Amino acid sequence: MRKTILIIKREYMTRVRKKTFIIGTLLFPILYLLLIFGTGYIAEKSRQQLKIAVLDSSGFFTSQKINLQNQADQSSIMDLVKTTAGKSYDYDASGYDAMLIIPAMKWDTAAPNNLVLKANKSYGAAVESAVQTKVNRIWDEVKNENLGIDAGKREILALNRIQVKAVNENDEKMDAGLSSGIGMACGFLIYFIILIYGSQVMMGVMEEKTNRIAEIIVSSVKPFQMMLGKIIGIGLVALTQFLLWIAFVFVIYNVTANLTGSGGGGAANQIVGSIQTIFTSVNLPLTLFCFAFYFLGGFFFYASIYGAIGSAINEDVREAQSLSFPVTMLVIISIVLMTTAVNDPTGPIAVWGSIIPLSSPIVMMARIPYGVPGTVPVWQLALSMGLLIAGFIFTTWFAAKIYRTGILMYGKKTSWKEMLRWAFRRN
Amino acid sequence: MPLLELQQLKKYFASQKAVDDISLTVEKGQIFGLLGPNGAGKTTLIRMITGIFYPDEGQIIFDGKKFDPVNDVGQIGYMPEERGLYKKMKIGEQTMYLAQLKGLSRSDAQARIKEWFVKFEMESWWNKKVEDLSKGMSQKLQFVTTILHQPKLVILDEPFSGLDPVNSNLIKDEIFKLAQNGATIIFSTHRMEQVEEICNHIVLVNKGKKILDGTVSQVKQEFKENLFRIGSTEVIPALNGNAPFEILNTGKADAIVRIQEGKTPNDVLQYLISQNVAIHSFQEILPTLNDIFIRLVESSPAARQFQSI
Repeated sequence: MRKTILIIKREYMTRVRKKTFIIGTLLFPILYLLLIFGTGYIAEKSRQQLKIAVLDSSGFFTSQKINLQNQADQSSIMDLVKTTAGKSYDYDASGYDAMLIIPAMKWDTAAPNNLVLKANKSYGAAVESAVQTKVNRIWDEVKNENLGIDAGKREILALNRIQVKAVNENDEKMDAGLSSGIGMACGFLIYFIILIYGSQVMMGVMEEKTNRIAEIIVSSVKPFQMMLGKIIGIGLVALTQFLLWIAFVFVIYNVTANLTGSGGGGAANQIVGSIQTIFTSVNLPLTLFCFAFYFLGGFFFYASIYGAIGSAINEDVREAQSLSFPVTMLVIISIVLMTTAVNDPTGPIAVWGSIIPLSSPIVMMARIPYGVPGTVPVWQLALSMGLLIAGFIFTTWFAAKIYRTGILMYGKKTSWKEMLRWAFRRN
Repeated sequence: MPLLELQQLKKYFASQKAVDDISLTVEKGQIFGLLGPNGAGKTTLIRMITGIFYPDEGQIIFDGKKFDPVNDVGQIGYMPEERGLYKKMKIGEQTMYLAQLKGLSRSDAQARIKEWFVKFEMESWWNKKVEDLSKGMSQKLQFVTTILHQPKLVILDEPFSGLDPVNSNLIKDEIFKLAQNGATIIFSTHRMEQVEEICNHIVLVNKGKKILDGTVSQVKQEFKENLFRIGSTEVIPALNGNAPFEILNTGKADAIVRIQEGKTPNDVLQYLISQNVAIHSFQEILPTLNDIFIRLVESSPAARQFQSI
């Protein structure tokens, strides 16, 4: 036990003190923030006000109506232009970026499908739809006026909007959109942790084997202790990184909360708002507990398999890829199942995917935010957790048998068939 | 009481009888040579002694008791032929780690490492990494990590490979000192001149079986061919029918002769004196371990063949 702790300590300390760990841990949230604020900033900066000349042949588009809409939506400024212009309109000289041509039409018949927005360069769909919305508002105004609908009547019309919302009778505060968001995020986090730290276990074992230090260590400790020490050590590194990120989120949350008071960016406001909703609308202790459980369970389940693969390969990275491919495939399939489960958290794929330990760490986390016991009955959660524990005990046992043989086996290229033979050999 | 006793040890792999019924005894304080060609089963045998492999059959008695890998590995220091250290880890930390894995406490480990680093002039290495060391330097470091915990049994597999004569002697002296202080040393090598110089007792294994066991002088006696070198300025006259020997080779000032079965060196001298040959020297030629090794192993194919079990 003392020796296993020594190994855990070494695996942990050498990794946590590495520059790549420190930089990665710091950089990830910074990059994340930069991405959010940066894109918001760039979007703000690059937004230009489009000047549009409106050539109205219908007589409905008065400058009064247009100006009213210009005030409401400043992404474009429309001007009623009297002069009729030919095809070769001089955009630069007139100062307009585009020209909207409105043909003669009646208010009580269908307006022509496509009004033409002419310009001497291409504008994207966003510009098109912004102009379209604006024109339609004016057109609504025209109709309202002609129908005699005044401001009071309009309000009544607007009241008439009915929205449909799915409500689970067992769990009323559940919000489908938010739950699927949290589920997705948790699932992807576990997915990344399994793949990134699983392959770290594999490379670590491989390093010890090719360095030939393995033989020295196994003359002091049992191969099982050596493998377990490595897996636990690396698992703790993953946990450390994760906790640091959570701490970052809280710091950022507090800092931005203060910022928004003094008029910070809109993007920050949104994030803070969504974090607040998450805290208030989801069973946070349960979700966090389940996340920690499936995070560790999933990691141990797969890391031991990756460790066994690491012990079977010799220096050749291609060999590592071909042996780990089937395992990586299983993890990727879990992600595919998860995307289905997020949309249909009580369907058969979601239920079975969250019970079978191969995919349960990722799929179950997609379901839990929908509510326990509302969406996930307690028996399913208990069965899933029990099977995952049994599963990682099995993979660790299985991996230890392969590891014991593989770590001292040099020169020969190993196949999965060979590894299975090592695992199921007696003694 | 012997420190280590192997009784009918067997270890079969899928395609090879790596160790096939080997028994041997290593006495306390002995420097014991474990010899054999490549693939003879030496490494497998050593791995069973160090608790890395379990024997399929047979018993290992260590220090009077049945060998218990979990507790007894702290009494064993093993330096494998393929040296291994963490390349990226600092030397001081690494040595501390390996010593603690062998069961030393932090403070003990630190004190002993300091002592050895001073002895081997390695104090300045503490914060360096293994990848900064030359092959010979890392060899010295490896030796230190092997014996730091003062094991009762030290197993050294080719300890001198890659070392210059100065460092070789340094380590050789340490091996003798360890043996004097009561440690038992198993020394595995192909270099026979080192074995003659260092070992008291040798065992030769080939194809998983023990084919030779004894002290160096016993083995040499066993394999002697009754050859003698006779130093003489005169040419030995043609032998008559009574001569108790035959001449194999005549040089400028000496001749090599083989004594016939049942005759003694004295018979040879008597014969030569009766022939009035002036003798300067008379010396038995014993085979070198190298000769014996080659003679015993030559008959088997150089590369071990796979066999079905």
